[in-house]
Amino acid sequence: MNEQYTLTTDVFPYLLALSAFLFAVGAAGVLVRRNPLVVFMSIELMLNAVNVAFISFGRFLNSEEGQIFAFMVIVVAAAEVVVGLALITQVFRIGRELDVDDLNELKL
Amino acid sequence: MSLVNVLIIVVSVLAAMGALGVVFSSQPIYSALSLVFCIGMVAVIYLILNAQFLFVVQLIVYAGAVMVLFVFIIALLSPSSEDRPAFGVRFIIACLAVVAITGTVFVTARNGVTYSGDTLRGAVVGRADSATDPAYARNAFDFSVDNIDGTPGHEGPGNVQTTGGQLFTTFLLPFEITSLLLLVAAIGAVYLTRRTPAGGH
Repeated sequence: MNEQYTLTTDVFPYLLALSAFLFAVGAAGVLVRRNPLVVFMSIELMLNAVNVAFISFGRFLNSEEGQIFAFMVIVVAAAEVVVGLALITQVFRIGRELDVDDLNELKL
Repeated sequence: MSLVNVLIIVVSVLAAMGALGVVFSSQPIYSALSLVFCIGMVAVIYLILNAQFLFVVQLIVYAGAVMVLFVFIIALLSPSSEDRPAFGVRFIIACLAVVAITGTVFVTARNGVTYSGDTLRGAVVGRADSATDPAYARNAFDFSVDNIDGTPGHEGPGNVQTTGGQLFTTFLLPFEITSLLLLVAAIGAVYLTRRTPAGGH
């Protein structure tokens, strides 16, 4: 058995660090950017970060559940993108500037 | 540090660069392309972690359907190009937060993770009890080894059979609720984007 091709748990901290980095960058993107399209992309980034953590834990604990959860997260992300992009299209159609700071139509 | 571990680290760095491109691009189309790159690199990590089913799902659903939807909406709306985020105090705070969160998780996972009394560090995945437990031997990360040896691969976790088996037995109810969620999302999208007759906005 060639050890060069063996996955060891030395890499586990790097995977978790990647997950945390993607989540933090996504959260910063949601907070900093004003274009709602880019905000949605940042949300996708955060969901991907969670998926990386799920699959890493599932792999290193020899469990199937992590992949099932990641599958559910992908489904939720797809549904969220569909509804969100429909909302953005409507906002653009009524003639508003695409800027999340200006979207206060629901404000009382 | 084996070659597979080095490969995971390199791909992780590429994925992180793609994520930074999403936030720092001045135009939404560049953000979308950076996100496609990042998603592709994450899919490669899934493949290395023996999640072949999610590798394919990630490429088809995310890099295929979702990103095509994004690019389509960007082309439809043609939003004006936005300046990069200002390199001011908020930018510095955001960078510090990202570095702090990542560093904390890395250090904690490297030094503090214990599971069932044994630290995860240094052990070989799936091989710990392979000598005594044949079920563990089946879970070994061996698709690269098998490809090189030319021997057929084992049915480790993550292939379509095991994932589908779990999905249709243990997790049947969440799987069915998923279909309801997708139906509601589709109906909601059609409702939101319908053209109202005269008078409506």
